[in-house]
Amino acid sequence: MGASDRWDRIRRIASVADRDADEPTVLAVVVLAISLLLLSPVAWVLIHAGEMETGRIIDLLARETTTAVTVNTLVLVAAVTALSVAIGVPLALLTVQTDLPFKRFWTVTAALPLVVPSYIGAFAFVSAFGPRGELADLLAPLGIESIPTIYGLPGAVLVLTLFTYPYVFLTTRASLISFDGTVVEAARTLNASRWDAFKRVTLPQILPGIAAGALLVALYTLSDFGTPAIMRYDVFTRMIFIEEQSRNIDAAAVLSLLLLVMAMAILAVESRIGASRDGAYVSSGDRRAGEIQLGYWKLPAMGFCALIATLCLALPIGILGLWLVRSTGAAPEGFVFEAQHVTNSVTLAAGAAALCVVLALPIAYLSARGDGTLSSLPERVSYVGYAVPGVVIGLSLIYLSLRFVPFLYQSLFVLVFAYVVRFLPQAVGTTESSVLQVDPSYIEAARSLGYGPITSFRKVVLPLVAPGIAAGAALVFLTTMKELPATLMLRPIGFETIVTYIWLVRGAAYQGQAAVPALILVGVSGLSMLIILRQEA
Amino acid sequence: MTDSNHGSSRRRFLALGGATAAGSLAGCFGLFSDDSNQVGVSLSDFRGSGPLVESRGEPGGTSIEDLPPLEGEITVYLGGGEGGLYVDLFDLFEQAYDDFSVNHRLDASSSLANQIIEENDAGATQADVFMSVDAGSLGAVAKAGATQSLPSEALDAVPGSFQDGDGRWVGFAGRARAIPYNSDQLSESDIPDKVSEFPDTGALEGTMGWAPTYGAFQSFITAMRLNRDDDAARSWLESMQDHGVTEYDNEFAVSNNTADGELAAGFANHYYALRVRSGRSNAPLDLYFTEGDAGALVNVSGMSILDGTQKAELAENLARHVLSAEAQEFFATRTFAYPMISGVSPVGDLPSIDDLNPPDIDLTELADVQGTVDLMEEAGVL
Repeated sequence: MGASDRWDRIRRIASVADRDADEPTVLAVVVLAISLLLLSPVAWVLIHAGEMETGRIIDLLARETTTAVTVNTLVLVAAVTALSVAIGVPLALLTVQTDLPFKRFWTVTAALPLVVPSYIGAFAFVSAFGPRGELADLLAPLGIESIPTIYGLPGAVLVLTLFTYPYVFLTTRASLISFDGTVVEAARTLNASRWDAFKRVTLPQILPGIAAGALLVALYTLSDFGTPAIMRYDVFTRMIFIEEQSRNIDAAAVLSLLLLVMAMAILAVESRIGASRDGAYVSSGDRRAGEIQLGYWKLPAMGFCALIATLCLALPIGILGLWLVRSTGAAPEGFVFEAQHVTNSVTLAAGAAALCVVLALPIAYLSARGDGTLSSLPERVSYVGYAVPGVVIGLSLIYLSLRFVPFLYQSLFVLVFAYVVRFLPQAVGTTESSVLQVDPSYIEAARSLGYGPITSFRKVVLPLVAPGIAAGAALVFLTTMKELPATLMLRPIGFETIVTYIWLVRGAAYQGQAAVPALILVGVSGLSMLIILRQEA
Repeated sequence: MTDSNHGSSRRRFLALGGATAAGSLAGCFGLFSDDSNQVGVSLSDFRGSGPLVESRGEPGGTSIEDLPPLEGEITVYLGGGEGGLYVDLFDLFEQAYDDFSVNHRLDASSSLANQIIEENDAGATQADVFMSVDAGSLGAVAKAGATQSLPSEALDAVPGSFQDGDGRWVGFAGRARAIPYNSDQLSESDIPDKVSEFPDTGALEGTMGWAPTYGAFQSFITAMRLNRDDDAARSWLESMQDHGVTEYDNEFAVSNNTADGELAAGFANHYYALRVRSGRSNAPLDLYFTEGDAGALVNVSGMSILDGTQKAELAENLARHVLSAEAQEFFATRTFAYPMISGVSPVGDLPSIDDLNPPDIDLTELADVQGTVDLMEEAGVL
């Protein structure tokens, strides 16, 4: 579809969306410009894929490996998504709707695993449960010589699930908080059983929230390279990485294109489930349903929360502590960890969060206020970048910046833009759901009092959506803190962050040196998670 | 995975010169006495420490004192992994010369090669020098026409097989392929002289490890293709898999797991075993070198001067410094690499580079990683 074509259609849709013709046009123009920018890395994929001869493309796609790896990838995505829902939704129900003891504490422990980079989680799991890991060492004196392998599909599913399910937890929790609890009570007075009331009243209401979280989990799993590689499970990103490392760029582009097709299929599925997208992430509803009394189930419920917290938090932090204790002596001088690494990481992440918030607002506003699928197209488009592996974004932005904005090449602008391409949907999602909760009649009232469109937006809408914006900013912040591949490729010369440092010492096999930076990374990102939770409460 | 520096049991492998550790190193050499203030760092700063190093004599070759001083600011694209260790060398040069400083960008060698080629295409070269831990990446950059010639002073110090025929890159540290093996589980006589015989060797069945995504391993397969042919490499990979081999994501892990006994043997660059051993000297880990085949490949870390640099003279001088006696001692004792100049010997009782019997191939040809990856995919290894 040509750009001008789409432009016309968006403009038409936008102008019927509101009787006041000028504002939506401006909004649509802004959103269209942002969308095109977000899609620019895909242009590189198309250009390079187009340079490969058809015969070689067919060879590449018809290869046995390609088919096997495609199946592997889809199995992994499906399993991680399903398991994340199976963990995230019960945790959200327990911490919002029941009389679980220490609810605040369990809420924090259920959300925090998101701040642990999944590759660090994977190292920790291999250290703990690998063939020569801590568990094997513990069991060896008991005469247990071998334990089931952690490598392969089960390990990859386990690790990815444990460090991404919080997306589902957070979105489901937000839906539960916002949703009108009196309806459940009404259903109960009509003699519906607790399960029936959940199935017929609660579930349909929180389904879009669950779907929004599941979408983020699925796309993250699709684009992640580090974790499957460490867990020795062959997926698509590994093929792309291998082609890139062997300087076989065209093939990397063709494979990326295939990955994008999978991402769009996932987006299409989610669009159907999440058609009404209210309630995702953030809300301010205050009429909760009466608490469910857990009774006998209190202990098992706490056991479940504690098990997840142990696996996701205590275990990786414990293993990092072990590395720290066991690391011998000083690293070579080239490997000194400095405060500058932390400052650089935080500055970048804050910059990315700020820019994402600004760009997410118009997209979210158009999607929430416009009617029809076209006005939410940009919102869908914003998810595409999230599914593109960081290494592809890196290659693409090297190419594009060298050609079109050479003066920005290897500048922080390009790096922050890469983060925006990858992580914007997280801010769009939170912002959109809070925009949806603003009653449009408030704006009409403000307009009728003679305020201009911008003023009424600033005075009426902005204060109401601020919590959603803050939550989006915090999510972008903590994912940027963790990002490795694009950071490595696009950072300015001499600019090192916490993750590039961890990458460096890991690559040179000075594992112990990675412990302190990893703990700092988790600590700083943990603070931003507290912001998300506070906004929701 | 603990480390112990207290192990005092005698080692069969790489006696490490520990037996002759006399503690005689006074830290000061005549050559580097205080009379000469030109250079503010001494040989002991360049040299590592520990039992591998203590009994070493003075290195031969050109001292940095006899080279023109490094002056100015230079930008280096530095291949990651082991390359991270080279940052220390830059620091030493910066200490030695007040007016010298290095900006470096660390990433995987092949990613940097991609990036240099992209920059060169766009006429926007950023770096003056490329230092790679793999000759294949140097070859790719050279073939893309993104380099300048190196000065003969640098090239002359290095054997012809460790530099590009047209002088577009020069090796500064050698990395030999080797077979690390667990000496509790295998003895030297269990391992054949040729990697081609490994799939038929019962002692190695189901007990070996490799890291096929690792650049060094892919160069080894490229060497096998060059030394024999594609079909031989493909069928070797297939029969190794039939024989049972475990995959790791890097060769330090292969060496470390061999020391742990998770593997009986593996495919890895030689220095990883020395790194494991320097961390825990009582590990039952030994090294075996095959003869005259790809398993005996000696790859290099090397550098090239990039086309488009405004600082060719400084870059040339840096090349000479990297090949100085002190820097070569640094590579030998701190990274356990093979030195490239004749005056400096490798650490411990590593066989000398002349005693190794590498295959007769042009290292620039290691650039054909693409063909190797295709072949490895066909064989179902990737």
